[in-house]
Amino acid sequence: MSHLDEGTLHALLDGELELSEVSEIQMHLGTCVACGSRLQEVKQVLAEADRLVGAMEVPAGTPRPRPEPARTSSPRTPIRDPEPWNEPPVLLVPDPIDAEAKRTRWMRVFKLAAAVVVVVGAGRIISGAFGTSHPILPERDLTSASPSVPPAVVSAVESRRADSPAATPRGRSSRPLAQSRAPLPSAPAKTRALAKQPSAESAQTLADAGVSVAEDTTAAAADSDSQLLAAGETGDTANEPAPEAAGTLDSAAEEKAKQDSIARESNPKDELAVRGAAAAALADLDRERRRERANAATAALPPARPVQPESDAVAAPRTLEQRAQVYLRVGLDEAAKQLGGPVHVIEGMSPQFIGLTRGQMVPGADPARPVVRVVYLDSRGRMILLDQQRTRAGQAPGGAAGNLRWVTGDVMLYLRGEPSVDVLRSLQGRVR
Amino acid sequence: MTADLSELFEQYYGSLVRMLYRRTGDRDRAEDLAQETFARAVAAPPNNPRPWLFAVALNLVREDGRRALRQGRRLELLRADDPPPQGPDEDFDRNERSAAVRAALATLSERDREALLLKAEGFNYDEIASTLGLSKGAIGTTLARARRRLVEAYRSEGRGKNVAS
Repeated sequence: MSHLDEGTLHALLDGELELSEVSEIQMHLGTCVACGSRLQEVKQVLAEADRLVGAMEVPAGTPRPRPEPARTSSPRTPIRDPEPWNEPPVLLVPDPIDAEAKRTRWMRVFKLAAAVVVVVGAGRIISGAFGTSHPILPERDLTSASPSVPPAVVSAVESRRADSPAATPRGRSSRPLAQSRAPLPSAPAKTRALAKQPSAESAQTLADAGVSVAEDTTAAAADSDSQLLAAGETGDTANEPAPEAAGTLDSAAEEKAKQDSIARESNPKDELAVRGAAAAALADLDRERRRERANAATAALPPARPVQPESDAVAAPRTLEQRAQVYLRVGLDEAAKQLGGPVHVIEGMSPQFIGLTRGQMVPGADPARPVVRVVYLDSRGRMILLDQQRTRAGQAPGGAAGNLRWVTGDVMLYLRGEPSVDVLRSLQGRVR
Repeated sequence: MTADLSELFEQYYGSLVRMLYRRTGDRDRAEDLAQETFARAVAAPPNNPRPWLFAVALNLVREDGRRALRQGRRLELLRADDPPPQGPDEDFDRNERSAAVRAALATLSERDREALLLKAEGFNYDEIASTLGLSKGAIGTTLARARRRLVEAYRSEGRGKNVAS
């Protein structure tokens, strides 16, 4: 990974990066000294900038005229409002001209809605009252009808069955119905189709057959009855080759449906338990899938780097920037801007690069400001550093350092490096 | 709608005036511009109010600045809109610091300055990008540059004063 740019570091400190980016950057910061020191620098800049912007408070001053004469009650100790703009201000927004018209319109809509609700409610009540006189409705066991049961698709056969007094108790309609249909040669096609699905739904459908036809009128039931007889006969003709087998299927399905419906009625708690277990199993499956996805996503990443002792980190080959302790490489323009004038160089030598280092790392420099560092390598590969910082009023470069620290104009210079002091002193004369 | 606007007003007015004051350096002007911003919100209720309000307010600042230039008025960045400091020393120091920061802020480009002020009002990068019409990827760099330049300008301002004194 290349060095982190300043924008990324700011985004990191502002908490604007994705988690994956943050972990990547943290891994890099763990190994890159230059980026680590840059991060510290950015932290300082960010904190200082926030502090500076925060220092620009809106002046308390005299607040704008408000309709509050009570505030001048104690002139000797004037109450100074620290942030008058934070008080609920006078809202100078005009009320819309047609506000009254809108209100009236809304009221009209509400009235209309209320009238609709009343009419619908009354209609339901009236239909309920009429329903009690219906010959079928007294036979309906409304209290036992579960709202969660889906409406059954009711065939004409089933509508006919509803007329039978034997169909009244819910869930026990199958057998009496079958018995009542004994004169018929066999069960109609629809019933057989349902009977061939030995599931709870088909049982429920059969069981609900007596309930679902309440809307039919007697005449309609009679009609469907006649149609049904015809259909039953047609079905019988079609299924003539194996009437015994059909009868066996019918009875088996009816038995199964009966058992299912009895089980459902007698054990509603079991059903709840089964649903709960199914939900838990689904949740487990979800968790498992999420774990698999996470594993797949992280499989491509390199394994987590174990924490290495300090000595190992130092043992890694260091770049020239790291050796020179430069946290940011800059161009001539930026360096000149920092110094307020041209950059000083050693005549006859070519700098490797120019960078910034922290002021704390250069003796005699202002620790609060960066120092421009020009980095050289001599013919034997030894590093030579020419540090420069614009001086503030009253800032002294300090003595010692073998007179290798001096001031030219308003720039403090400090020459040091791996060669001996004599070599450095010879180079000092070539600094321009 | 009026109720919503009233809520918006209570929620964002303080923040908007503060940002406008930092941007213009003039409290009365900041309040006027904030009022004007909310008046525009009445005319065209925004869907995403915060970025909308601040974008409109910043547009108004720019328009106002251009108009002022046309009319030959100088921007009153350094105008002392407070009465001359006669109170305790800390008031004086605060005013002086505030003026120095404003001067440093004035050295920034318009985009950098606005990004910085929006960040100071708690905007995230998405909101800054949407308010200023920039891409989100550019906000980190913009803020980095703005912060660095602000700090440098403020320090050089302080250094100049020290030298002068």
